[in-house]
Amino acid sequence: MNPKEYKYTREHEWISLESPNRGTAGITDYAQSQLGDIVFLELPTPGTRVEQFQKMGEIEAVKAVTDIFTPASGVILETNQDAANEPKIVNEDPYGAGWLVKLELSYPSELDAMMDSQAYDEMVNVGG
Amino acid sequence: MKHTPLYETHLRLGARMVEFGGWEMPISYPSGIFAEHLATRKSGGLFDISHMGRFWIGGRDSLPFLQCVLTNNAAALVPGQAQYTMIPNESGGAIDDAYLYRVGEKEYILVVNAANAEKDWLWLQKFQPNFPGLVLEDHTGKMAMLALQGPRTKAALEAVLGDIRSLIGPTRNNLATTEIFGTRIYLSRTGYTGEPVGFELFLPADIAVRLWDELLAAGSGKGVVPVGLGARDTLRLEAGLPLYGHELGKDTDGKEIPALALPVASVAISFGGIKGEFVGREALRQQFQEIILRQEGRLEIPEEKWLVPRTIFPVLVCGDSVARAGCPVYVREKLAGQVTSGTVVPYWRVEGVGIRARPGTETDKRVICLAYLDADLREGQKVQVLVRDKVAEATIVRSHIGSEAAPYARPLFPEESALAISG
Repeated sequence: MNPKEYKYTREHEWISLESPNRGTAGITDYAQSQLGDIVFLELPTPGTRVEQFQKMGEIEAVKAVTDIFTPASGVILETNQDAANEPKIVNEDPYGAGWLVKLELSYPSELDAMMDSQAYDEMVNVGG
Repeated sequence: MKHTPLYETHLRLGARMVEFGGWEMPISYPSGIFAEHLATRKSGGLFDISHMGRFWIGGRDSLPFLQCVLTNNAAALVPGQAQYTMIPNESGGAIDDAYLYRVGEKEYILVVNAANAEKDWLWLQKFQPNFPGLVLEDHTGKMAMLALQGPRTKAALEAVLGDIRSLIGPTRNNLATTEIFGTRIYLSRTGYTGEPVGFELFLPADIAVRLWDELLAAGSGKGVVPVGLGARDTLRLEAGLPLYGHELGKDTDGKEIPALALPVASVAISFGGIKGEFVGREALRQQFQEIILRQEGRLEIPEEKWLVPRTIFPVLVCGDSVARAGCPVYVREKLAGQVTSGTVVPYWRVEGVGIRARPGTETDKRVICLAYLDADLREGQKVQVLVRDKVAEATIVRSHIGSEAAPYARPLFPEESALAISG
């Protein structure tokens, strides 16, 4: 059920490409299921420059808080205000309406080294 | 890991399972912690609490034993009553907090925290040689325990047990013995959610699945849902109820929290003549005396020698930074203590006022905590909580929920709780 065309990180984020240098990122279904009810999102301000695998925000669930890492380097173009206002959207539709940020990619080739859905499925299923 | 008799049932219901106190327990079912919390406040929740320790205490020495090892006056219970109590140590701290149910003339059940059950058991056994007529047995395995909490749970319970009016008194801490499926169970009006209407049931392990299924079937049309440990924690926190390891035991600096730092301890500790001598009595009495003198403004010893320098307070945090256990709390830039439990809880926006208040259809959420703060602080005090390098404004409140509009527990906010105290 992890979309085939997306790329994944070991920290359970995904990224999909809309054009060669523009992407949308969020957290995976596995991540949301492990977190449980998400109650608050802290997302970077548009214009922020981010580097791959660095912290870009926080997700607060009822029982825990966790960092969100950016799956790729670039500049934040937009954050999902609907999700910020109603974070349960991320629980309900992590790959769709529950996206977190849109970014302009500095190095689209970074994605080549990331896990595809099959590799991510395997990682999650063996408990990585 | 240990499993309750309802383990398979939880899996069948799709629960997310976690380890807690050596048990594999549901943290939440697929609807999630928020939905379970909200359902309990508006309709009802069914909880498997079979992981809690259950000690059977009987024999001619049962009462003298309980008077020695617990803080409350067990002689105040008649058969068919329950009370909150503590297992004290010699130094005025709590080994655990507990609930004592008098189920017969000489028979009691003591319910303790799952995470402490082994420690409590070893501690209690040490006193057994002093009480030759004591029967002390661990019934955690052979007895299951369910909680049914919330405004519509009485109807759900009666659909299974029949009319309970003649069986059990209407107020909290009543207890009754009854029968279902040809076997004896105990039913009490107790719980850990702050709900004005709530029950706990003690039953033989072998009927646990059947009774759970029947209660759930009877309750589901009334909005009663299964509730896991996640919402059990958010509900108890909202009700201001302590959890050992947070509000009792050691504080975040590793220092023992004096039992009297917990306001609810005042109903759990007895210094009366009938109670007599018990473990830790002198240390607790000194704490009690200090608090009374301080309240009367007559405490003359310097602050650094106070036995109870801090007290547990409910605190409401503004904004959406979720304060967690260990977050420091400041008053005018001076450290005043720490958060002991913190979370975000959902609530139903209230429709109607006063005793007509009831949950509406809109929900919201708020950040609440319990904090261990300087004892001279008062309700209404503005404080600052440091949440991961960010300062969150917060207020000490009297209570996070009120139950004057029973059968509903409704959320309270500072302005209201100030009014409630002056009125």
